[in-house]
Amino acid sequence: MLILSMLNWGAFLLYISATLAAGHYLYTKDLRASRVMLTLLGLGLFLHLGASVLRVAMFWSFEENRFFLPVSSFHGALSYMSLALAAAFFIIEGQVRLGILGALILPWAAASLGAAVLFASPDMAPLAPKLRSYWLNIHPMLLMTAYAAFANAFGVAVALLIQERQIKSRKPSELCYRLPSIDELDAINGRIIAATFPVLVVGLVMGALWSRTATDYRWGPKETLSLCTALFYAAFLWMRYGAGRRGRMTVYVSMMGFVCMLATFFGAELLRGSHSYMGGGN
Amino acid sequence: MKLLSLSWTHKTSAAAAREALAAVPVEKVLSVLRERGCDEAVAVSTCNRFELYAAGRPDAVRSADWFLAILAELAAFPVAAEAEVREDMDAILHLFSVSSGLDSLVVGENEILGQTKTGYEAAKALGMTDKRLNVLFQRALFVGKKVRTETTVASGASSVPSVAVQLAESIFGCLGGKSALILGAGAMAELSAKHLVARGVGKITVANRTWERAYALAARCQGEAVQWADFPAQLAEADVVIASTGAPEAVVTRAMVAAACRKRAGRSIFFIDIAMPRDIEESVHKLDGVYLYRLEDFEAIVAKNMASRAESVAAARAIVEAKAAEFDLWAKSLSSAKELSLRHSERPAR
Repeated sequence: MLILSMLNWGAFLLYISATLAAGHYLYTKDLRASRVMLTLLGLGLFLHLGASVLRVAMFWSFEENRFFLPVSSFHGALSYMSLALAAAFFIIEGQVRLGILGALILPWAAASLGAAVLFASPDMAPLAPKLRSYWLNIHPMLLMTAYAAFANAFGVAVALLIQERQIKSRKPSELCYRLPSIDELDAINGRIIAATFPVLVVGLVMGALWSRTATDYRWGPKETLSLCTALFYAAFLWMRYGAGRRGRMTVYVSMMGFVCMLATFFGAELLRGSHSYMGGGN
Repeated sequence: MKLLSLSWTHKTSAAAAREALAAVPVEKVLSVLRERGCDEAVAVSTCNRFELYAAGRPDAVRSADWFLAILAELAAFPVAAEAEVREDMDAILHLFSVSSGLDSLVVGENEILGQTKTGYEAAKALGMTDKRLNVLFQRALFVGKKVRTETTVASGASSVPSVAVQLAESIFGCLGGKSALILGAGAMAELSAKHLVARGVGKITVANRTWERAYALAARCQGEAVQWADFPAQLAEADVVIASTGAPEAVVTRAMVAAACRKRAGRSIFFIDIAMPRDIEESVHKLDGVYLYRLEDFEAIVAKNMASRAESVAAARAIVEAKAAEFDLWAKSLSSAKELSLRHSERPAR
């Protein structure tokens, strides 16, 4: 447990340091900061991966949990999202050199793992009987992968709005020349959402299928919010690719999708329901 | 070691002397100097300056007058009166300031670094550089790069066309494959078109009220000419629109641009209005995905960049002075028993 906690904390601190290095890179365009960011992020990912493997091993020490992934708890879900987000950024940055966006994307990875480390404890208890289902390895995993990708898209959307405002102001600062161009950011935002939307839909459909097997299932606020998330992203895709619209309005719609997604994820804690994490799904 | 420098710059000498010197190829200057008995010299020649550096053991370096007489003879012009003569530490400081762009007309400009390198390499190829000048010029290039990376003396575009290109790149990314529409066929239009072609813009279309002039300009920049009445339709295709007509009122209206935007599937459009009075209605800037910049907007950005460069001149000068003092110590140590190393603190430029 102590080792797990140390690995998690180490990864969290490294993500924060990588975020700070990314911020420094954005403001100075000092290439050394970019390399420091990547190194810190790589080390953070390594520790985080170690922590995740250890957590799975500890989770499986309960016979009845065997081969289910520990993602039903708040800690497990946040930790997985943070890992997926950081890994996605690490891979994307390695391929298309968009490290400049680290300052807008990495805070989400750090915050997500931070929330897991600070406000939730690792799931070290037998799973509730109704969660012992192979759906547990499919439904939440798909959705959280989608959430991590949407967080990446949100960072890109923020950069897009900043860049658009810079150029509209007619008084662009140095930041304008450091960020990627409006067209590039728009293309990345669109592509991430287009690629992730099917994952979200499949994840939600899987959830619906799982719920049919659960006897006490009721439509709750979480279901409404997740439908809103899907509708906002669908609206964005229709505006962007169907109606060929671009500009601030489409970006706002995609950002609303992300806000709904955050509400879906964290709202369950406030509103309670069959997805409540703190209750371990009971 | 003794170092001598002779300079004719835009600050101190009239254009006539500089032009006369610029007309003499650097290789010729160096080979004549060698024929007459000078072994170590480097000449840097640009449109704004002519610089000659000579080095050697204290007793081996000829006097400034000797060099001035030869240069006056080669340039066939009385250049001696306008020359600035510097020795040792002053000459080192001057060279480092030059390579750092601090002595340039546009502070921090980058061309001078390449021009200094070219001058040094020409002299090296002719065997006119020994250890002293080799280390001095490698150091000058190193200091030039250091100043540009560690201060903001070279940051921000310094001319209207380069700011325009930077902004276009901030909107579209790479300009290759983009298309441009030029409204008007005057000198400004031609200059803009050539600048865009140089930046890789794929397609240039020219529209002008007088068809012949549009056709002639399009031919000169490998573009295509369209009838003036057809230009509103072109707005749906063009990514960059440069307007510089002599029309007394706006020729591009908001309604025209809004109609074009509906056909553009959300693609951004960058309008550059360099006409006076204006060619493009100001309100088009309010449309989504439409960016209108006027000449004064570019000028304001250039002025801001130049002010930021000027602010960092003191920091740049401090680096130049520190590095010049370091080199001076090394140069003095050459005549002592123990030669200092310049490599201790930082690697010299490759």
